[in-house]
Amino acid sequence: MNRILPLGVIALGILAFATLMLVIGPAIQIKSMAPTPGLANYSAQELRGREQYVAQGCVYCHSQQPRSADQAPDAERGWGRAAVASDYVYDRPHQLGTMRTGPDLFNVGTRLPSRDWHLTHLYQPRAIFAWSIMPGYPYLFERKSRAGPGDVVVSLPAEHRPAEGVIVAKPAALDLVAYLQGLDHTNPAPARAVRDDGYSERGEPR
Amino acid sequence: MKTQLSGPPSPSETFEPYETMRPIPLGVLMIAVALALWGVVLLFDNSEAVAIGQAERADVLADQPARSDADGASLFSARCATCHQPNGSGVSGAVPPLAGSPFLAGRAEVPIAILLRGIDGPIRVRDTVYDGHMPSFASVLSDEEIARLVSYLRERFADRPAPVAAEMVTALRGELAGGSGWKGGQELAARLAPELAPQPSFALASRAEADPATMRLVNEGTNGSWACASCHGALGQGSETVPRLAGLPAGYIARQLESYLNGSRRNESMAVVARSLTRQERVALGDYYALLRAPSNARPSLGGDIARGERLVLEGVWDRGIPPCVSCHGPSAFGVAPGFPGLAAQHPAYTASQLAAWVSGERDNAQQKLMNGIARSLDDADRRAVADYLATLPPVPVAATKERADDRR
Ligand code: HEC
Ligand code: HEC
Ligand code: HEC
Ligand code: HEC
Repeated sequence: MNRILPLGVIALGILAFATLMLVIGPAIQIKSMAPTPGLANYSAQELRGREQYVAQGCVYCHSQQPRSADQAPDAERGWGRAAVASDYVYDRPHQLGTMRTGPDLFNVGTRLPSRDWHLTHLYQPRAIFAWSIMPGYPYLFERKSRAGPGDVVVSLPAEHRPAEGVIVAKPAALDLVAYLQGLDHTNPAPARAVRDDGYSERGEPR
Repeated sequence: MKTQLSGPPSPSETFEPYETMRPIPLGVLMIAVALALWGVVLLFDNSEAVAIGQAERADVLADQPARSDADGASLFSARCATCHQPNGSGVSGAVPPLAGSPFLAGRAEVPIAILLRGIDGPIRVRDTVYDGHMPSFASVLSDEEIARLVSYLRERFADRPAPVAAEMVTALRGELAGGSGWKGGQELAARLAPELAPQPSFALASRAEADPATMRLVNEGTNGSWACASCHGALGQGSETVPRLAGLPAGYIARQLESYLNGSRRNESMAVVARSLTRQERVALGDYYALLRAPSNARPSLGGDIARGERLVLEGVWDRGIPPCVSCHGPSAFGVAPGFPGLAAQHPAYTASQLAAWVSGERDNAQQKLMNGIARSLDDADRRAVADYLATLPPVPVAATKERADDRR
């Protein structure tokens, strides 16, 4: 092979340049970023729930990055304003996701604040959405003949109730739901925040 | 073997092919240069768009607590003139006049206190007794705006040119925080301005508390469905795509619940809820939410153009077939019972989603399809503008007693 050295140097140079621009630069830019005003850190329970979210692989079907109005009608869907970099300061690792098999969940806590709704939905999504392709997570729940003190009973339509006894949420399910209820990034983002500007042009005339 | 084919001599095993230097054809070079130039131009073009986008967002953010540079006159025509009329004459028998009103002529605290809390009970203005509902503007007007508005009103309608300071509003807001509407002229006079007495007394019919069974549906849910309050909030104030219910007409609420049941309005969660309710329960829940009072927690969130939304709601665009929304939904979009729901202080994401739902056919439950055509003539930017503007309006004033709710129905 001819000119191995120059070829190798150029290839490595291109790789180094890309790493600089796509990895090192942005990392420096967001490293010391302050959280969006009004964004609270996770509680201990929410953090445990977040681990469940990661472990169950929810990220394979749900994104956590609403887009701006000129990219997608996410705000009108109730998914919240476009996310900015400082929304993710407490997320390590972030759960941005790439697939939207299901809705974006970055603000699910504001549009679905009900704990009991989430428990029903996690136990059996098809108890609510007959067409849903989201898997149920019955192993986060257990069947008991009767609810003990402090047990959270899952409310189910008659056709999904067990023949006898009640369905009770395990702590993992309660943690996961606490995390989902806490997903709220509707506090206004500063105008100069680091964000994806998309195709934002002057608002169309008329 | 003698008969070996004679061919070209085979190349050496270690030979590596190479290309001789040939210059790039001029055409290709020119295309490459043109592409690079184009890229640079696009980069510049886009940087301008990004700058514009950022400036616009800064504007929108500055707008958010309502356009705070609006002067008293424009605040009056945007917020008060639909009820009190542009010349301040009021509406005979329904809305008292501002022109010549003793409530403006006295201490400046009185109109400020009225704006901060609204009025529920009967009130006597210049020898006529009115018994309507004045909404509270505490959640939609800032202290500076209230000061500017009251200064303007007192100068125009009561010949009191001395301006009112925003500090006075701030102090009163602290003092009156959290209270419900003034119980008519009597409470106002007793607290702030004895010279306005005598005022009619407030008929002390306490709010018809819903029966325990209905309250259980609201706060605890049933085995098979969830508590209304767990989604719609403890005061029926809603959030994002969960609508505000407080102050919607009772008959309208009951009819929507029926629509979720029979499928003419599609929403899976509400369908589960509706399936768990009997007819009486639907009616009782409507009565309960119609009388609920909740401060507004809605704010513009779709990046819509608020001025354009205001124009659409108050004036419509006739040549595009869009009538003013207030012509059906009532002054200040407070609704007209029983058929026309209030839109004021509704959450933008919900309002926009409903306008989209009429276009897609997911909502098709009204007897007269009044909204279907209107929704179709609104484009995406209109939807966002209207929804964001409606979120800046004060919440629907709620009748304080069951009797009043009934005669509004
Ligand atoms: C196979 C893909 C898939 C996976 C994995 C998945 N979901 Fe979903 N999810 C969906 C789909 C599709 C919907 C829409 C239908 C529905 O609500 O059931 C949905 C809806 C939801 C909603 C309701 C959102 C809304 O706005 O209505 C929540 C909350 C949710 N998922 C949470 C989770 C959580 C938590 C996990 C992990 C434990 C998870 N999902 C895993 C596909 C998935
Ligand atoms: C939805 C209609 C409505 C709107 C909008 C409205 N008002 Fe009123 N206002 C009323 C009614 C009705 C009363 C009488 C209250 C009663 O009878 O209990 C009233 C009473 C008053 C009074 C005391 C009586 C008087 O005539 O002096 C003042 C002052 C007043 N309003 C000022 C305002 C101002 C300022 C605005 C705009 C920020 C405004 N109102 C917006 C309906 C409205
Ligand atoms: C799981 C959360 C949830 C629960 C629990 C819930 N709602 Fe709703 N409700 C919603 C959502 C989301 C919508 C908007 C649906 C749509 O887009 O049509 C809605 C819409 C409504 C509407 C239509 C409002 C309008 O302005 O047209 C009424 C009325 C209503 N709900 C009443 C109730 C009552 C009464 C209960 C309790 C028995 C209840 N809801 C429980 C989430 C919920
Ligand atoms: C010709 C009368 C009319 C006009 C004009 C009108 N509406 Fe409506 N609107 C209605 C009726 C009737 C309903 C109730 C539909 C039902 O019963 O389901 C309604 C319902 C709505 C709702 C649903 C409220 C809720 O709580 O779910 C929204 C949002 C709405 N209208 C927005 C608008 C907007 C925005 C405009 C102006 C561009 C407008 N409307 C103009 C008659 C009208």
